[in-house]
Amino acid sequence: MRKRVVITGMGWVTPLGLDIETVWRRLIAGESGIAPTTIFDARTFPTSFSAEVKGFDLRQAVGSTYELHRDAGRNTQFALGAAHQAWKMAGLEDAKLDPYSVGTYMGAGDGGLDFENFTRATLAAWAPGAHALDTVAWGKIALEKMHTMTEIEQEPSMTIAHLTMEFNARGPSLNCLTACAASTQAIGEATEIIRHGDADIMISGGAHSMIHPFGVTGFNRLTALSTLNDNPRQACRPFDANRGGFVLGEGAGVVILESLEHAQKRGATILAEIAGYGSSADAYRVTDQHPDGRGAVVAITEALKDANLTIRDIHYINAHGTGTKENDSTETYAIKQVFGDIAKNVPISSIKSMMGHLIAAAGSVELITCILAIRDGMIPPTANYATPDPECDLDYVPNKARAAKVDIAMSNSFGFGGQNDTLIVKRFAE
Amino acid sequence: MRRVVITGVGAVSPHGIGTAPFWNGLLEGKSSITALTRFDPSAFESRVAGVVPEFKTTDFVPKSYRKSTKIMAHDIELAVVAADFAVRDARLITKGIADPESPLEAQLLAQGWSKPDPARVGCNIGAGLISANLDELTAAVAEVRNPDNTMNLARWGRSEDPTKPSGMDHLTPLWLLKYLPNMLSCHVSIIHDTQGPSNTITCAQASAGLAIAEAARTIQRNQADLALAGGCESKVHPMGLMRWSLLGRLNGKSNDNPGAACRPYDRDAAGAVLAEGGAVFVLEELEHARKRGATIYAELAGFGSTASASRSPIDPDPSGEAPAMAIKKAFRDAGISPDHVDLICSSGYAVPDWDRSDVNTLRIAFGQTLAKTALLPARAGIGDCGAGSQALDIAAAALAMHQQTIPPAVNCPHPVANLPINQQKKTGSLQHALVISVALGGQNSAIVLRRAT
Repeated sequence: MRKRVVITGMGWVTPLGLDIETVWRRLIAGESGIAPTTIFDARTFPTSFSAEVKGFDLRQAVGSTYELHRDAGRNTQFALGAAHQAWKMAGLEDAKLDPYSVGTYMGAGDGGLDFENFTRATLAAWAPGAHALDTVAWGKIALEKMHTMTEIEQEPSMTIAHLTMEFNARGPSLNCLTACAASTQAIGEATEIIRHGDADIMISGGAHSMIHPFGVTGFNRLTALSTLNDNPRQACRPFDANRGGFVLGEGAGVVILESLEHAQKRGATILAEIAGYGSSADAYRVTDQHPDGRGAVVAITEALKDANLTIRDIHYINAHGTGTKENDSTETYAIKQVFGDIAKNVPISSIKSMMGHLIAAAGSVELITCILAIRDGMIPPTANYATPDPECDLDYVPNKARAAKVDIAMSNSFGFGGQNDTLIVKRFAE
Repeated sequence: MRRVVITGVGAVSPHGIGTAPFWNGLLEGKSSITALTRFDPSAFESRVAGVVPEFKTTDFVPKSYRKSTKIMAHDIELAVVAADFAVRDARLITKGIADPESPLEAQLLAQGWSKPDPARVGCNIGAGLISANLDELTAAVAEVRNPDNTMNLARWGRSEDPTKPSGMDHLTPLWLLKYLPNMLSCHVSIIHDTQGPSNTITCAQASAGLAIAEAARTIQRNQADLALAGGCESKVHPMGLMRWSLLGRLNGKSNDNPGAACRPYDRDAAGAVLAEGGAVFVLEELEHARKRGATIYAELAGFGSTASASRSPIDPDPSGEAPAMAIKKAFRDAGISPDHVDLICSSGYAVPDWDRSDVNTLRIAFGQTLAKTALLPARAGIGDCGAGSQALDIAAAALAMHQQTIPPAVNCPHPVANLPINQQKKTGSLQHALVISVALGGQNSAIVLRRAT
């Protein structure tokens, strides 16, 4: 028999704040964390705004171990902040644990490039009229200007490397990077590791920061971002007829997953239970979702099957809801295919309307949102919803949070390249 | 419980394109590390590398997919080619091999090939940090160069003359998609129409083992019957060379003798060698494989993973304890003890303090029985392929099990700590092999392979 997996701690570092209750209060109030970009001068960029984390202080977040992490990438620093909140909430600060029973599984992406030195070195080694970099000139400058740790910290395994050091977590340790689905997938696979008995506790979630010139360039070139520069707060409009793209955010979300057995034995407070997980690939195109939401339907269906639940059991869906034309109509269509006649009765919302899109970290903060919805019986709204779209005709909880009994919630994440992941979380009962 | 076996091996390595040149390279005990010529490395101390011979990716994808090869970074190309070899080796008819209902499909079916259900095939390919093509990026950045060689960010975003392109307009619209690590799995899943569970593990040199273990678990849980799993990476890039040079990890003393540059566990080990390559495997549920008469290379018998949690993300665990624990977990999972192991493939970076850590690991995990096994540091003639490294180790072990032959070690005439290096090609009864990979970053992945019976 597979083990039951519960959540005993959670934490996040987001554009709406740096602790669980502040961010939750602001989500319920429909507030926005989206504003003109300050990390770099983006005033002339097609998109000049983003959802930045403000006021995060690593020293304050980690305390005495600051020196170990000072060179860590921005994403890793956020992950450390979120993980500390989760670890503390789970009551693990003084727990006696076998280090090999505590694992890490993150969906962590970029931590930021040494933009200044990188561009200086490449430009200095680029002769006018050249077609290739002079790697000899470049090498000399790069070796002199670039910092060892800043460079190495860009490896995508560095977030878990820091988490394992910080918490002496020596169990299974993985990072997956499946674009916008990464942290949902990380939490799903971490759940499987505990179910299988390979760890008692998994520190899991996501962390990402792509708000740097080349990150924004990449998404702007793909025309994936909203360009509503005159009105950043209303730029992300999931499911609205006038939606025009997503808003790039950054941050981290971390949950403590634990086998029920282990949590009960140590008398931990159980916040919720992971009921089901489903994963699939569209296998369609690297640029587009399958127009019928083929893979999304499979992920949602597999998650329901894994949870041994039916569509009538789902009280709330936290949508991927990026605010792009394609995603929101495809996701709606996928939900309709699975939920059939009752699709219109299930409240659906996208917190990306307020927090922006945390890319690899998005799924983790959205799962935490589901757990808070269950805890407080409150569903956060889809902000900026004004004009109905005939292709998006479900209940998106427009603009105002809604009180509702939520015992079971579903969170969807879909990534570039056709990666689909769904998690179902439920109120814990013996 | 459902058992998982390897029924297809696709390797792309400095030894050559495909599994046969890889295995022959190992059997010949040769080193394919050469002087680095892809770009001029004279600014760097280490100027040797393990480079995959040139190939045309378009030769390995269906006609309809040729256009998409334009948005593949080299890492992605390696995975696409490795997957093609693996799928053909396993005699599977996917969309990438033959169009549905084509004469080719009929022909292959008549030859005993099988056509899997796409929904029951997963894909899980380990990847690394993919560096952007510096020529492409710098050409665009140079369009907005300031006189002091800084980049004019304002003009990068928008041209002063609205009729002219901005700096960023010089990059192809799909630029970002060339460099996302999940594009290895994504392209492979599209080409071969694998619609089952799909993931991208990014844990440096432990990626492939972790990806294979995770994919195997999905088969054990009955979420799939088959999976394409492995890992590929190219570190042979100016950014890769720059980063590893800064780390002080590379051998800068063997530029005159590239073949001898990578000397794992040898008393003269003097640093790692940058390389590229990897492997993709077809993993398959045992009964599924038997029913269709597939060649079984080996069974994936046990998995173990741990983290070293050292005091710095770039240093090894000097005690070797955490990787040893990964090995013990894999033994437990496979239901074997150390004396059952006939072959060990371990990381062997040829970086002395990492090699010392490996020695401690093997001593803890094997104790007295270590002397009775054979140790093959399979990367000695190849170099370090990052996320592809452990995939090539697993390919070496799986082929050794299948051929009942252990290839000779390269560049280790004077092993440290009396390690049982397999100096001569050896044939005989191989029942179990252990592959252990320790990643920069502290992730450890152990896999036990069992001889197919």
